[in-house]
Amino acid sequence: MTAVQRDPMALCCTGVEVRLDAKTLLADASVHLSPGRVTAILGPNGAGKSTLLSVLAGQRAPTQGSVTLDGRPLADHGMQALALRRALMPQESAVAFDFTAQEIVALGRYPHRRAPVHDEDAIVDEAMALTDVSVLAPRILNTLSGGEKARAHMARALAQLWHPRPDGATRWLLLDEPTAALDLAHQHSAMRLLRAWAGRGVGVVAVLHDLNLARRYADEVVVLGGASGGLTQGATAEVLQPALIEAVWGTPCQPVTSADGTVQYLFG
Amino acid sequence: MTVFFNEISRRLPQRRDVLRLLGASSLGAAALPLFAQDAKLPKLVTVSGAITEVVYLLGAEAQLVGTDTTSLYPAAARVTPKVGYMRQLSAEGLLSLKPDAIIATNESGPAVVLDQVRSAGVKVEIIEADHSWGEVQRKVQAVGRAAAREAQARELQVKLDAEWGQVQQRVAAAAGKGRKPRVLFVLSHSASPQVSGEKTAAHSVIGFAGGVNALGGFQGYRPMTAEAMASAAPDIILTSTQSIEAHGGVDRFWQRPELALTPAFKKRSLITQDALLLLGFGPRMPSAVAELHEKFLAALA
Amino acid sequence: MTQRFTARAVLGGSLMLLVVAFLVGAVSGAYAISLPQLWNVLATLGQGADKSPEHLVFLNIRLPRLVLGVAAGAGLGMAGTLMQGLFRNPLADPGLVGISSGAALAAGVTIILGAWLWPVLPRTLGSWTLVLMAFGGGLSVTLLIYGLSRSEGGTRMALMLLAGIAVNALAGAGLGFLSVMATDEQLRSLQFWLLGSLGGARWSAVLLVAVAVLLSCVAARSLAEPLNAIALGEAQAALLGVDVERTKRRAIVVTAVAVGAVTATTGIIGFIGLIAPHWVRMVAGPDHRVVLPASALLGAALVLAADTVARTAMAPAELPLGVLTAFIGVPMFLWMLRRFRGRI
Repeated sequence: MTAVQRDPMALCCTGVEVRLDAKTLLADASVHLSPGRVTAILGPNGAGKSTLLSVLAGQRAPTQGSVTLDGRPLADHGMQALALRRALMPQESAVAFDFTAQEIVALGRYPHRRAPVHDEDAIVDEAMALTDVSVLAPRILNTLSGGEKARAHMARALAQLWHPRPDGATRWLLLDEPTAALDLAHQHSAMRLLRAWAGRGVGVVAVLHDLNLARRYADEVVVLGGASGGLTQGATAEVLQPALIEAVWGTPCQPVTSADGTVQYLFG
Repeated sequence: MTVFFNEISRRLPQRRDVLRLLGASSLGAAALPLFAQDAKLPKLVTVSGAITEVVYLLGAEAQLVGTDTTSLYPAAARVTPKVGYMRQLSAEGLLSLKPDAIIATNESGPAVVLDQVRSAGVKVEIIEADHSWGEVQRKVQAVGRAAAREAQARELQVKLDAEWGQVQQRVAAAAGKGRKPRVLFVLSHSASPQVSGEKTAAHSVIGFAGGVNALGGFQGYRPMTAEAMASAAPDIILTSTQSIEAHGGVDRFWQRPELALTPAFKKRSLITQDALLLLGFGPRMPSAVAELHEKFLAALA
Repeated sequence: MTQRFTARAVLGGSLMLLVVAFLVGAVSGAYAISLPQLWNVLATLGQGADKSPEHLVFLNIRLPRLVLGVAAGAGLGMAGTLMQGLFRNPLADPGLVGISSGAALAAGVTIILGAWLWPVLPRTLGSWTLVLMAFGGGLSVTLLIYGLSRSEGGTRMALMLLAGIAVNALAGAGLGFLSVMATDEQLRSLQFWLLGSLGGARWSAVLLVAVAVLLSCVAARSLAEPLNAIALGEAQAALLGVDVERTKRRAIVVTAVAVGAVTATTGIIGFIGLIAPHWVRMVAGPDHRVVLPASALLGAALVLAADTVARTAMAPAELPLGVLTAFIGVPMFLWMLRRFRGRI
């Protein structure tokens, strides 16, 4: 357990419970997220990772508990104000009609339509370049592969948060399994991209299924599930210990140190 | 004049031909330069089979520039330009025929189209269809007015009134001598057969012909059901030839289960008449009713 | 690679088509009006000169009909686009929310039961009875379907689709029941109403419909960008700041008013709301900022073209408009089913 730091720009939730009919998707979750770092949300299937992320994004209201951003409840901010500084890349997205990849990325600029900046077109192009989908721009999104679609949606989220806010409000980039459909090379380039954005002050929160990616790229982890059904938050190296991993995921793991000094795990 | 008429009536026993000839001879008695006047005689569009018949009887068919789809008698009427179904007329279509007058019943429409035609300067005569002899009279008068053949119309009126009077007398005379047959009219041009109650053309015609409508207590048409038929207990089923054709013949018609419980079924008492003749309320009505009356008497005998 | 024309080209092209269709419609008709005569009518407009028959036919019969055709096609094309955007499905159609079936049921009740249920109504409302009843019927059924599809989280489109299917079926059954009770004449009247027609258009009704459709089209403009975002899914659209519930409500109201006004005046004109947006998307892509106005223009052109055929093919009689839009629409619909079967 790490001490809760009172960060005024934090994204927090306290005692959040999410129930759907008789099923409890998330119970008594409290996290305190600071901007400027990459936080990974980890856990086995069904632990409530996506639910937690959607609550933090303001997409879903908890049945109990509260979510605050910058010290104010999320609901007080309003969805339109939130959209200017918070983006959520979904796990899956079924897009209707034959929009091109470029048009989909451009939709990320929707919240800014009332106050466009001088380089709107450039933003879309540069965002697509960052996630390596520039060559796919004129193609119809629904005809792309899973990985290509994911990269296009990531570019959309980046485009949504492109410029720092004039009032200095922190930007939050939330991603639900951003690497799940990507090939190896793109997995790592995407995570490096997220680290770069965190380095510029954006709060990056990503649900990951790959523990090794989390170990390598995340500053902090939030682990859900396990025997106690609870939640553990803390610095990556401290929390991701073999004992906890075995307890939560039920798989024996052996840490190994790679050439550049990062610890990775072998499973099985 | 009377001698001439008798000559004709001997050689041509059919009444309708007689009436036509009467009309023609009246015309002959009128002004001579008939064809020169044709160009100045008003042009007509008639919407309703009965009204079209009157036009032909007045010899005004040269003035007829268009008819509706129910105008099927005489045969020449079928090849006149058709303005469509009487409830779905087209303003431009009507006006393109450049008529001076349009004669229709109050069942024609849409009302807006008739208004548009009126505002273009065409006279639109609407005849109230109240299923009485007055309706026939009004049709004759209206056509006479519109076709500028009022004298001929009056003569035709007199003739028809006389015929009608004769028929009514015969029916009244026979009424005292026995009970009136219970008659039920079935309409079946489409899938489900309907039977007619009060305030319908069939109801009036049955009454005129000396019968009694087996169905009462409701107005208009209703679907035919076995129970209703059984309780109505008609002696005679009256229907149109078109209904029988739609059923595929008389035998198929009698196979309908609803009819099986009626007295009419036992004696196979069925009278059919062409729909326009029977229900059109046109100039052939006296002869139609006379024919019906005779068949009623035969059926009860 | 997709071959797409620019927004300007598509909008310009649709406008051109509309203008051509309007001009062809203006010079065609059962009543022969030559071009010099037409020119004379237009040149002497406003002057109190003696009205020639061509004047009257063109100004009182043909022109209101052309304007009604434009309004009807624009309203249906625009509403079709809104419904397809809302349901996120290219096979959606304004009929899904029950406007057409509600209007049809109300028309059926008026034609068949009217004299018996409300004898006073035709006297007070006169020839407006059927129009007002049909409009009211369409709005009522839409309201019902909308109400049935509301749940805690807002309006669910899947619920709306199912509710629409059920209520449409009920309205159809109601019409069936009415047809059993109807006389031959009433049945014919209803049948013609159901097949749709621009005939009998008078200026008072035409101007009302035109105003209703114009206001609806103006209101629909602000829905274009939200509908683009909704293509990502309602959840994502909400995260982008779209007020999804308000967008749905507005789209349904706009559709109900436009299609309700049109259907009440013309009867049911099918397939325009389905095919106009699809054709536009094929050449311009799915951006609603282009598809909405272009579908309105193309829909208007299609209705005018179909009506011109309807009133000249069998002159002096008329074919019902719905028959012709079905002849174009059904093959188109079947082709779309084949093309989109992977996405259904």
